Amino acid sequence: MTAFFLADLKMMVRNGQAMFWAMAFPLIFVVVFGLFDFSLPTFSSIAVVDESGSPASRQVIEQVSAIYLLEVEEEIPDERMARELIAQGDLDYLLVLPAGLGSPAGQSPDSRATLVAASANGGRNQLVEGSIRNILSGVSGGAPGAAASGAPAEGSATEASAMEGVLVSQEVAVTRIPYFEIVLLGLVGMGIMNNAIISIAVRISNYRNMSILKRLLVTPFPIWKYFVGEVGAHLVIAVVQAVIIIAVGVLVFGANIHGNPIDLFVIVVLGSLVFLNVGFIVSAYSRNPAAASGMGNAIGLPMMFFSGTFFPTATLPWVLPYVAEALPLTPMLEALRAVGNEGDPLWSVWPQLAVLAGWVLGTGVVATKVFKFE
Amino acid sequence: MHPAIQVENLVKRFGAVTAVDGISFEVDQGEIFGILGPNGAGKTTALEIIEGLQKPTSGSVKVLGMDLAKSSREVKARIGVQLQSAAYFEFLSLQEILNLLGAFYPKQVPAGELLEMVGLADRAKARLKQLSGGQQQRFTVAASLVNQPELLILDEPTTGLDPQARRDMWELIRRVHERGITIVLTTHYMEEAQTLCQRLAIMDRGKLVASDTPSNLVAGLGEHYSVTVVFDRHLNEDERASLNGNAELVQDHAAALGGAAYRIRLDDGAAGLTGLLERFGGPDPLFKTANLEHLDITSATLEDVFLAITGNRLREEP
Repeated sequence: MTAFFLADLKMMVRNGQAMFWAMAFPLIFVVVFGLFDFSLPTFSSIAVVDESGSPASRQVIEQVSAIYLLEVEEEIPDERMARELIAQGDLDYLLVLPAGLGSPAGQSPDSRATLVAASANGGRNQLVEGSIRNILSGVSGGAPGAAASGAPAEGSATEASAMEGVLVSQEVAVTRIPYFEIVLLGLVGMGIMNNAIISIAVRISNYRNMSILKRLLVTPFPIWKYFVGEVGAHLVIAVVQAVIIIAVGVLVFGANIHGNPIDLFVIVVLGSLVFLNVGFIVSAYSRNPAAASGMGNAIGLPMMFFSGTFFPTATLPWVLPYVAEALPLTPMLEALRAVGNEGDPLWSVWPQLAVLAGWVLGTGVVATKVFKFE
Repeated sequence: MHPAIQVENLVKRFGAVTAVDGISFEVDQGEIFGILGPNGAGKTTALEIIEGLQKPTSGSVKVLGMDLAKSSREVKARIGVQLQSAAYFEFLSLQEILNLLGAFYPKQVPAGELLEMVGLADRAKARLKQLSGGQQQRFTVAASLVNQPELLILDEPTTGLDPQARRDMWELIRRVHERGITIVLTTHYMEEAQTLCQRLAIMDRGKLVASDTPSNLVAGLGEHYSVTVVFDRHLNEDERASLNGNAELVQDHAAALGGAAYRIRLDDGAAGLTGLLERFGGPDPLFKTANLEHLDITSATLEDVFLAITGNRLREEP
């Protein structure tokens, strides 16, 4: 078995061209995504909590929605919820319009609006704050020169200025995980899935066409050892592939990947096993290596999108979000991201690992049932 | 001493098709045994059962005295198998392939020794696809000897080879045989069966129709001749019928030459032959318009044996 495992690795490395492109495919994506700057989304979201309900407040809301780059989220019920969303990085701004909005400035602290901004918005915060201050001073009716009487709220101190009295600004520290880092781990999963399915399917189909499997069957070598050797060699390649993809992301594009590398490899190995089994199943249904490659792609490419390699799948219509949830790449990516992006420990993703283990068993049973030697 | 192979009432069905239809034969230790038959006769299926690749529908097979159904692994360890059209790993050298295959067996012959034996010692580091067709075929023989087998099974070892490579392969098979290894091979080339095999079984449509030494099989036909005549033009049907009724077009000469060769089979011995030859010299109306350019008489071959037993020719091409 060891002899076969080593020979198999040797063969894969010697098939340099195939190996190169299998590795290069996800790396091309890494480079493309690394080159685009996703740090500033085109639009920022803002929630407005209107405690006054006055004509003045309606005027403010109207003008805020007219600001280009700001999209008003209508369905956020209260301030507490909005603050939570900001802290999670799902909302950029919150504007609270107090009951006393529009009363003469300086008479009551209640007249001042509050703007809560996520720190992750970068330079855009000043821009938004300035615009909103302008709008407020336009509707406040009071003399703009009046000084604020209340103490500055927590967060960044407000400057003493002509418009100071109308707005208190707060900043909530939010560390938003850059999109590139999320995609990077998606690409690790995608690359491993593609390579595992197609490499096994093409290889077995090839061996079957060339009667190599038959040639192994006439030796006393137990055939299960052949499969173990084949799977083992592919797992080594999968881990190497994961290392290369992450290394390019980190070293070339400065991504931050957290978590214990061993934990990531455990997820990679478990996911690979599922897709290697799928590769064996594909090989059983394809007559030649070209067909195997096509069938492998037909399975891998939709899964790459439906499992959320590049964008979340919650917005899919109808039952598709549930279908996406059921695909084996989904728990693999969830686990990779929880560990690699959030720095969670491996045990915290046990539900995903359990689903993956179920997939390994299920696909393994199907693979042994449908496998054909000739 | 037990026979190398003992097959009794072997049957293999694939759905409605009966590939092997109740065959029985024995292969003695130390002989070269051939299974001769056209494509689709069931030769490969029979071999694959003996090799343990397929389970028989019914019947029993003993290899090297062991019941195949009970000790398939032990049998596999002690026989060598060359499959029809088997290729090997593309990205390993000849030496590496032999080492890898050797690792699958309890007993192994060093790769260098095997390559030496098949005349490929200087290609140890080459890949299989860098070899000629004949060299590749010789390599597959080396690969089937990696476990020092007592019995070597070769499925159509010379199919697709040019005449020189075929003779080299015969030479190699004889050398292997000289080492005391029993050899079983299938072929649809009668000259191969005739020159190489000590005993033959003839298979047709899943059945074993004859089994004996090549010379006994031919002798069993009695006096049997095949006469080939070449005329300077094509013969019409009546003329062909007048040539003993079974003149068969075997070669159409180029249009510019305008001639054609016919083969006449005679199974009534010397009398028939004399009769035919007398007509060629006599006042036959045929010879007033067509010139006899060439005449060739051969005694019976295995081809004739096969034809006589099955009513079919062994293969399409002459």
